[in-house]
Amino acid sequence: MTANKRDYGDLLVLMALAGFTLWYLLDAIRVSSAVQNLLLILPLSLVVLTIVALEVGMRLKKGTLLIREEREGEPLHRTLPVVGLFAAYVLSLETLGFDVATVLFIAAFLVLKGERHWPLLGGYSLAFGFGVAFFFAQMLPYPMHMLILPG
Amino acid sequence: MIDFVAVEQGLALLFSSFSPWMVVVPGIVIGLIFGATPGLQISMAMAIFLPMTLYMDFVQAMLFLTAIFTGGSFGSGIPAILMNIPGTSSAIATAFDGYPMARQGKHNQALGVALVSSVLGTLMGYVILFVMIQPLSLMVLKLGPAEMFAVILWGMTLIASLKGEQVLKGLMAGFVGLLIGTIGFNELGMARGTMGQTYLLDGVPVIPAMMGMFAASELFKLANKGFIVESKASRKVKLGEIFQGFKLAVRYPWVMIRGGLIGVFVGAVPGVGSSVSNLLSYVETQRRDEDPDSFGKGNPKGVVASESANSTSEAGSMATLLALGIPGGGATAVMLAAFAMHNITGGPQFIRQQTDVVYAIIFANFAQVFLLLVIGLLFIPLLANIIKVPMRYLIPSVLVLAVMGSFGLTGNMTGPVTVLVFAVVGWIFRHYGYSVPAAVIGMLLGAMAEKSLLHSYQISGGDLSYVLERPVTLLILALLLVSLFGKRLLGLVRGRKTAAGA
Repeated sequence: MTANKRDYGDLLVLMALAGFTLWYLLDAIRVSSAVQNLLLILPLSLVVLTIVALEVGMRLKKGTLLIREEREGEPLHRTLPVVGLFAAYVLSLETLGFDVATVLFIAAFLVLKGERHWPLLGGYSLAFGFGVAFFFAQMLPYPMHMLILPG
Repeated sequence: MIDFVAVEQGLALLFSSFSPWMVVVPGIVIGLIFGATPGLQISMAMAIFLPMTLYMDFVQAMLFLTAIFTGGSFGSGIPAILMNIPGTSSAIATAFDGYPMARQGKHNQALGVALVSSVLGTLMGYVILFVMIQPLSLMVLKLGPAEMFAVILWGMTLIASLKGEQVLKGLMAGFVGLLIGTIGFNELGMARGTMGQTYLLDGVPVIPAMMGMFAASELFKLANKGFIVESKASRKVKLGEIFQGFKLAVRYPWVMIRGGLIGVFVGAVPGVGSSVSNLLSYVETQRRDEDPDSFGKGNPKGVVASESANSTSEAGSMATLLALGIPGGGATAVMLAAFAMHNITGGPQFIRQQTDVVYAIIFANFAQVFLLLVIGLLFIPLLANIIKVPMRYLIPSVLVLAVMGSFGLTGNMTGPVTVLVFAVVGWIFRHYGYSVPAAVIGMLLGAMAEKSLLHSYQISGGDLSYVLERPVTLLILALLLVSLFGKRLLGLVRGRKTAAGA
């Protein structure tokens, strides 16, 4: 089942790829315009920019610049809370420590996804979160920031 | 053809201590679990467990990763047969006849057929690799940096252009991946694209990036599913009937051999691998069969064709990895990362100088297939239940493992932050139809491509006619053009012929 609908995201991704490529090319030229430095980066960047131009041109011709054929699968906004939660987890590791942040992340994920069996939720978050954090802290040769467990 | 001194040394490497073998059984089990869980890819398993190989020696690390590969290639057939959901793209054709067999109450036989075909297929693939690796390395030794660059470019183009209608997006993903792979210091000591960040001087940490792109982004996609398989219908597994499947599989040796040959050669082509070989083998078996109409309705030959091809593809992609240092797909891309972690560069020099290690990897895989037979039999009943684990428990647990593993690789927050950034990139790429494997392989090969091109430039003194003196380079570039435009040209020629005939 497919349907067409207006979507700026696809165009934004294209523009982001072109933007990154252009920025990287300019940064490489700024560092050195010697052939040896730009041997791969310059032609490759030009190819990427050409492909972006081709893609945009083809869509303009078809009149589908802002229309994306919707494939089966989740819309981005439905997954956004999960992505946000994961980002919060990663960015809080240094503050909350690997142990507490992991327990909170698992618990929050379970709540977000509808787990209401509280003893199971608490038990699993604590056991898995502390277990994995402790295991890695013992295995790795460098210190891991922990709030409760030994780092 | 076979270096017997290296064979002896390879055997000594494997059997002088028990430690290399300690990782094989866990590897096969991990592969089986990830392969048997739809949505979890073999490459994902390898990426998540890659940091553990830091604490292993190189042979042990390769044994662990190839064990995951071997286990995963069979594991992916289990949900394909039981639920019509291929665990990975390499088991798509297994579902064509495996699931109808299950519907007819022959799911135990189908699982037996799949297990024996996988075991014999993997064995066949590694026997071919054992015989061919030396001549292949001699041939490859004649390749210079210009040929290496052309091969990288060809491989990238093949990987990127696999998605049919999305060719341009695939190429874009692959080429941007190549550019990202060149971030940081180049061979001349110039740092590009670092934004003043010292942690980017050595380039983007590729393994955490790969964990984010392959594993985390795929899990985001599955986040709103309650279960991978919603059906509660229990499926009993009977060992006696699985053994009947064993007998059924060996009744079709030619189907197996044909599947094996297709698997090994298709697997060796970068970017094609088991995802294509299982379909090709299935189509070829159906085309040659006396009763092609019976396919898709529960013909065990269909399962044999698919499983033997996807299993031998492992050896094919290992050949490309060992001989050229180029990964054929996601799983071997992770192995290339393991090479880098152990300061080993795959390629002709590696095969020539460390033939014993190469043979040790091959011999270990001979043993792995028999272990797969035993472990597969023990785990089939258990694995059938794993797909019933709620996604809300599975997803955060795997994400946590990825974050901890990436911290283990970098020793600071660069790893987890890289996982996060590339998880988001991968999630957006998947959503908008950009090839994630192409981007990842591009990142892995970016620095190598730049180095090969720079060396060619230095050898030729910047004279472009140098390329014209390299017939192999020209041949590879011609193949690149054919893989990009061949289909379209063929269509044009056929169109003209049809028009002329009308």
